[in-house]
Amino acid sequence: MHLGLSLLIHFSYSPPREQFGRSQRVIVLGWQPVPLEPLYYNLSDRKYYTIPLTDYRYWLFTSAIGGVLVILSLQLFRLQIAEQQDLSSIARGNALRDIRIIPARGSIYDRNGIPMVNNRPTYTITLTPRNFDRAQIPLLADHLGVEDSVVVLRLEEAQAWNPYRPSPSFSNVSFGRYARILEDAYRLKGVGWEVGQQRHYSTDARASHVLGYTGEITKTELSSGSFVSADTAIYRQGDILGRTGIERGYEPWLRGVPGVARRWINVHGLEVMKYAQGQSDQPPRQVYDIHLALDHRVQELAESLFVNKRGAAIALDPKTGGIIALVSKPDYPLELFSGDLSPQVWQDLSNHPDTPLYNRASMNLMPPGSTWKPFMALLALSEGLLGERGEEATIYCGGYHPIGRGRFFRCLGSHGHQTTLEAIKNSCNTFFFELAARMDLSVFKRYANHFGFGVKTPTDLEEQTAGLIPDSAYFNKTRSYWSKSDVMNLGIGQGIMGVTPLQLARYTAALANGGTLHAPRMVSYLVNTQTGEKIDPPGLPAPTSLGIDTAYVNLVRRGMRLVMEEGTGRASQIPDIPSAGKTGTAQAPGNLRDHSVFIMFAPFDDPQIALAVQCENTGDGSRCAAPIGSLMAEQYIKGEIPTSWRTDVRMERALTATSQPLSSENQ
Amino acid sequence: MRHWHKNLDFPTLLVWIALCSCGLIAIYSATHGDAQEYLLNTVQRNFQRQVTWLLICTSALLVIMLVPIRLFIRFTPWIYLASLALLILALVFGRELNGARSWIYFGPFGFQSSELAKVGTLLMAAFMLSSRKGSAGSTALPVVGVLVLPAILIVLQNDLGTALVFVGLIPILWLWAGIRLRVIGLLIIFPIAGYLTILGWTVALGFTAVVGIIAWFTTRSPTWVALGILASVITLGVASFALNTVFKPHQVARIESFLNPEADEYRAGVGFHLVQSKAALGSGGWFGEGHMKGSQTQGRYIPEQSTDFVFSVIGEEWGFVGSILVLLLFAILMLRLVRLAREIEHPFGSIVAAGAAGIFLIHISVNIGMVLGLLPVIGIPLPFLSYGGSALLTNTTLMGLALAAYMRRSEFALYI
Repeated sequence: MHLGLSLLIHFSYSPPREQFGRSQRVIVLGWQPVPLEPLYYNLSDRKYYTIPLTDYRYWLFTSAIGGVLVILSLQLFRLQIAEQQDLSSIARGNALRDIRIIPARGSIYDRNGIPMVNNRPTYTITLTPRNFDRAQIPLLADHLGVEDSVVVLRLEEAQAWNPYRPSPSFSNVSFGRYARILEDAYRLKGVGWEVGQQRHYSTDARASHVLGYTGEITKTELSSGSFVSADTAIYRQGDILGRTGIERGYEPWLRGVPGVARRWINVHGLEVMKYAQGQSDQPPRQVYDIHLALDHRVQELAESLFVNKRGAAIALDPKTGGIIALVSKPDYPLELFSGDLSPQVWQDLSNHPDTPLYNRASMNLMPPGSTWKPFMALLALSEGLLGERGEEATIYCGGYHPIGRGRFFRCLGSHGHQTTLEAIKNSCNTFFFELAARMDLSVFKRYANHFGFGVKTPTDLEEQTAGLIPDSAYFNKTRSYWSKSDVMNLGIGQGIMGVTPLQLARYTAALANGGTLHAPRMVSYLVNTQTGEKIDPPGLPAPTSLGIDTAYVNLVRRGMRLVMEEGTGRASQIPDIPSAGKTGTAQAPGNLRDHSVFIMFAPFDDPQIALAVQCENTGDGSRCAAPIGSLMAEQYIKGEIPTSWRTDVRMERALTATSQPLSSENQ
Repeated sequence: MRHWHKNLDFPTLLVWIALCSCGLIAIYSATHGDAQEYLLNTVQRNFQRQVTWLLICTSALLVIMLVPIRLFIRFTPWIYLASLALLILALVFGRELNGARSWIYFGPFGFQSSELAKVGTLLMAAFMLSSRKGSAGSTALPVVGVLVLPAILIVLQNDLGTALVFVGLIPILWLWAGIRLRVIGLLIIFPIAGYLTILGWTVALGFTAVVGIIAWFTTRSPTWVALGILASVITLGVASFALNTVFKPHQVARIESFLNPEADEYRAGVGFHLVQSKAALGSGGWFGEGHMKGSQTQGRYIPEQSTDFVFSVIGEEWGFVGSILVLLLFAILMLRLVRLAREIEHPFGSIVAAGAAGIFLIHISVNIGMVLGLLPVIGIPLPFLSYGGSALLTNTTLMGLALAAYMRRSEFALYI
């Protein structure tokens, strides 16, 4: 057989014409006979030959095939084996993406474990134009409760952006509408949904200034990098960031570290599959839930008592410094910020004359009024300003201090000979004018700073002011002339000084616990949402001692108890619970009514709550601040406000007091 | 002597089944991954349609093997004329798909006239070469006409790649039909010199020298040496001139981008596909990333994955081992066909079988050469692996004709 085709003339044979013709007739089924002459007819010898196929032509073709395949194999080896590293890194560069998994933001609980802030799902309907069937526009529009034209418009926007990717077309869809779309999902091809997270506030307490709001990170913040945290890579555009309060102060803990999911993505940028079966994925971690010292019921009560008033109240746990309530009025609902904040609302909030965004509890500066007198008493006793007899020493009050001869340095009454205890109980101005006259201004400043006034308070509150405690350098700088009378005014907590409610409350807590200054803190502890690990709020200093003789502190405490039982706080007593307090009236600048100030702690023997209240332009301290503070303390200690005539009195006083409106002619 | 149907060549048939299966698996992977929904609806069904086509092809194969070769010989001129007519019809009434106006539709059923024309043209060429009178050279030029005529029509259809297959068949048929080797050698100087000119004119110049030396040692004839050098130099000149002045920049980019697809000027455009294709092959490594697991395949980074770039799917997901296996299957198929061609006693059948092997060789070398970045991007499918019903039917028919001729390899007298 091989021989037959190897060279030539395998078959030399001249067919007879007749046979040729016959075979044609037999075989041919076509319409027209075609002469078949398969052979090479050699004219010289008049014979037919087959095509002279030679072995080397066969081998040539075979080796051409072999050669091509060898070249292809070599190139294949080069690409797949020799250059594998380089090429597969190109492939990875194309197709590997690290997708961040943003963990759910940590929740915030009150001191009893009641959730105050958590996350609520939001539903966004997406459109993928490439897969969307336009015949379903009416169905989708019906489910969403919008006009067909709106769907068409969104579809065109999505098409313009990217026909292959789901485009977030309808945000904040209600759960009901979302559920209906879900039911019809098999008909609505190209319609998808994203479930997002939104801050949800689950108690009636607003606590706007404590909790704070969140917002999207801005481009400037992203580019500055310094604003957010050490690890800026965890923030990208569109991320949510705490803006104020706890949300801002504890941002790294609430946010946690985003996880990473390594995914193969396709040419359209969509996820195709997991890389290495997801082994290199990292789940989000380090998210903490925050447990506040706040009692949401005390907070709610205090907020409701501040109706028609500007002011602030802050209550501390004297044993730990935990903030039981922090009210700053007027305030605003945080829900405004959990969706898209309209610019109009923001304008209104930030330009409102009553400054609702401003945290009065830690930033409002006003003179402390008579609530300053316990401090002055401690200063005088410690510094020996009362002479050798100490607390037994008396100062005579004739209704005024002799220096002003009754014109400038008046007392509320003519108290006669007053010991320190009596002076506190009666809030005798003359007594404290005299102490101030005896003291050195630098000592005053030193003591005030030691008690936390005029300096920043160590706290986890985001914003605060240091306040103002003057010394001679300050007076020299700001006044062309100043005299002893300016210093004497400081003795009764009036004049050129400013303290914040936070500082007053901390000082009251120190009086309550016998002389320990705690760092006021909103957060009791943080709990890791994955591991359950409990940590203390970081960065807060250990408590410090006032360094005042306990006997003096106890004397002042007794004086303050007498205030509540026989003095200006009489009407604001808590039934059945002995308490100690001091009312104050701070002079307001201009023609405005005085500010009402009150400090208090209770129960007297084992204080659980210490608080400070400021009501702006409501009159004297017993009128507004004292009943509010008293009700807050009662609510905290008893867990409720039982009905009694004392409750009625305090409620009526607290609720009827109103702040004199701020207007240009008053100021 | 055994009965004719007992002479069926099973190795070829098995290789055919193996190749078609590889094709189906690769097409499945390219169209049924996680990102399937982002493919065009028509591409999504490629696997199912290829299966359908394979059933049609199997029936066609059976029919072809039952029909005596002499019937093909008898109808060859009509088949050829019908092919030309279809090409013209497609040109006038056809539908344009992927830039080529070669599609004819009967309702939903469409086929590519340029693919089917390969069968008719090969039959006609074999018919002419095997029924010639006089010297072998006397049919050499008419055969060129037979091949070039459909090629011109296909160029008019704007499908340069397919037209090149017809032209590329000329030296192969000449070789098998006994045309003098030096003529064939002269002919293949043109494409080689053209390719080397794209690589660089110095390379082409060196090649010219090599041509001269080889021509001298093979022919000892100054005339042939001169002809060889002239062919090479003319090609060098024409190709350089064309690249520098005639072609528009985007055409030049298309031709030259394979040399350095990573270059900035190509990367975003024509080079992108080649970079992706190479990256896919490279990430395959020795054993591949596994079926349905290739990142570039599943991510649809490579265009035309179920059709022209199907080999990149195999390269990425089956690795070097799998790719070499496919190349081996191709090698067995072609070498087997050449072997059959050698053993078929009748020249017509022999030339058809050799021509079929030649058509496969052109497709395989151009297609895989393109996927591997050795050749410019020329869109012709990989036989039996790429999706495409017309191509599958054409290639199966070509193989079937060779098998049919081999089954009746000794029925020499009956042809006459």
